[in-house]
Amino acid sequence: MNKLKILTKSIWVFHFASGPCNNCDIEILDILTPRFDVERFGIKLVGSIKHADCLLITGMLTRKGVVRLKEIYEMAPKPIAVVCFGSCASSQGIFKNSYNRAVPVDEVIPVSAYIPGCPPRPEAIIDGIVKVVKKLRGEI
Amino acid sequence: MKEKIKERLRERIVKWEEKSKRRFYIQIKKEDLKEVVKILFRDFGFRFCTATGVDNIKNFEVIYHFSDDRTGILYNLRVFTDREKPSLPTITDIIKGAKWIEREIHELFGIGFEGNSDLRRLLLDESWPEGVYPLRKDYEYGRREELPDSLTCSISEGVKEGRTVIPIGPYHPLQEEPEFFELEVFGEKVIGININIGYNHRGIEKLSEGKHWDQVTFLVERICGICSTSHPFAYVLAVEDLLNLEIPERAKYIRSIIGELERIHSHLLWLGLAGHFLGYNTVWMWAWKTREVILDICEQISGNRNHYAMMKIGGVRRDILNSEVDGIKSKLNSIISALNLFKKAVEDDPVIHARTKNVGVLTKEEAINYCVVGPTARPSGISTDIRKIDIKNSAYPLIEFDVPVLNNGDVYDKIVVRVLEMYESVKIINQCLDRLKDLKEGDICEEVREIPPGEGIGRYEAPRGEVFHYVRSDGGNTPTRHKIRAPSYMNVLSNEVSAVGGTVSDAAITLAAVDPCYCCTERIQAVEFNKVKYRWDDLIKLSQEKTKKIRKRLRE
Ligand code: SF4
Repeated sequence: MNKLKILTKSIWVFHFASGPCNNCDIEILDILTPRFDVERFGIKLVGSIKHADCLLITGMLTRKGVVRLKEIYEMAPKPIAVVCFGSCASSQGIFKNSYNRAVPVDEVIPVSAYIPGCPPRPEAIIDGIVKVVKKLRGEI
Repeated sequence: MKEKIKERLRERIVKWEEKSKRRFYIQIKKEDLKEVVKILFRDFGFRFCTATGVDNIKNFEVIYHFSDDRTGILYNLRVFTDREKPSLPTITDIIKGAKWIEREIHELFGIGFEGNSDLRRLLLDESWPEGVYPLRKDYEYGRREELPDSLTCSISEGVKEGRTVIPIGPYHPLQEEPEFFELEVFGEKVIGININIGYNHRGIEKLSEGKHWDQVTFLVERICGICSTSHPFAYVLAVEDLLNLEIPERAKYIRSIIGELERIHSHLLWLGLAGHFLGYNTVWMWAWKTREVILDICEQISGNRNHYAMMKIGGVRRDILNSEVDGIKSKLNSIISALNLFKKAVEDDPVIHARTKNVGVLTKEEAINYCVVGPTARPSGISTDIRKIDIKNSAYPLIEFDVPVLNNGDVYDKIVVRVLEMYESVKIINQCLDRLKDLKEGDICEEVREIPPGEGIGRYEAPRGEVFHYVRSDGGNTPTRHKIRAPSYMNVLSNEVSAVGGTVSDAAITLAAVDPCYCCTERIQAVEFNKVKYRWDDLIKLSQEKTKKIRKRLRE
């Protein structure tokens, strides 16, 4: 059986931000609140990577951040789904010429999904979650 | 006032320039800097805004910006230093709020400050090569430094025995910007704090030098997601100051509408998070639910929930249709009942009183000394609001509104000020919308073709306080220097006094009370003799437990 399948029941998410404009981060919190309320599906933000099924990354990965990201990924229980959230995390976005940039996220750790947008709309986020779940189940 | 200053400084003035009625540039010799700063800050009572470093290739220039908050005039001290051994006298012994800016100029320009012993790095990491200064002109646009293979995270050393260090941050799911606080505690009491930023440093000032004047508005929008219209607002004001341009009236109203909508949703966001830190998760959910209504209005006007892209040099990018005004108004006024609810909760709830009154106090003197701004300063009895004094191309001089000011400087007052401000914002938007109906649709932008050489300063009262933008042009397509100062930059440092002396369980709410553009203070760990004791989660839990205990006690 696909080991990843067990992750799809109620996904616990650890949110890591490195050099975002924090709009992405707000939208993440936003989908937890009454209008969109993804907690219905057991999706929840957790404070420790050790509890997480999914690592959500926002921002363009600064030099100070890249070290922490590596460490966090190593601490994470595997398997884990890594999602790049927003244009910044997916491709460094508008900050791609910054002197404080490190490398794109997918050169540091393996990424399972990208959710583009600046910031992605809540509907796009929910769509992204559904796709991640489907992928983990092996349906797409 | 102008004459008085001229009189006091007399032969110290090398050159006096008046770029406009509200912007004076005073060139002085660097030996006189300390004297002059003392006169302006202590004797005249001006507020220190920030300092801007500029690389002129033949020499370096540092501009110290002082604001006279009674009249809204900016006095800018200009000093030069040579390129070989750049150095200036420090002013941190006169103004505490200058601590960070000197560290920043030191690391980004390589200018030394004599007498400042704390020139540690602020924004760049330890592995950044020595002697490489990214904001100098010989540092190419788009260049980056290689990362070394092995990197580690460090916590400051030299903690005395019996004391404990609690690192808060840099990452937390409920905060949006990485900031890293290290609390030094003795038992329950906080005795010291070290604030470490730069996790979020994206080098926007340098990026701006490589973008077209028009593109910069989109870039500065992405400095901060919650203040995403304040930065472009201040930027276009700065460029218009340079151009000496007056924009159409309709555009002024639209600008203010967007600015105030942002203030409401930002305060609601903060209120929710503050509730969460105190253990009231219902407040969090309710506040954010109300916030959605505002985001809907923003979407209706601009097409996006955040990052509205409304500001443009010379006006605004999109119009608001007169036929939509009534709909927007009724939606907006529907949040008043929610605001009343919050107001009543804050006024009546004894638990909130017990948790926030006399907690994290920032006195008026300290507030002046740390040069704090906005809703961090106004609860401490400082009435400054940039909207009242220095925003030419906006609707604020044309309409009526009040600025709530309180006197205790504690967390409670900081909550109350924000709640009251939301009512004012609703009032402002309603007035602006009404005026829009009398004006012709479509007249929203002045055409701007060229940006001549010169310099300009724009300020706006963001939800967290004054944002400050300085631009300089050489007549080309891009700014040659663009200095940005966000309000949190001044406010966060004041935690040095407001958190110290309190207990650990109050730390979370005190640190949050300045509304630092929080961006992800996740990893809080308390190290007791190198053993991990608390994490940021635990700190919030501690805070929430305290609320529970108080609630129980009050019930009995
Ligand atoms: S993708 Fe856009 S909204 Fe998200 S962090 Fe980057 S700039 Fe901000």
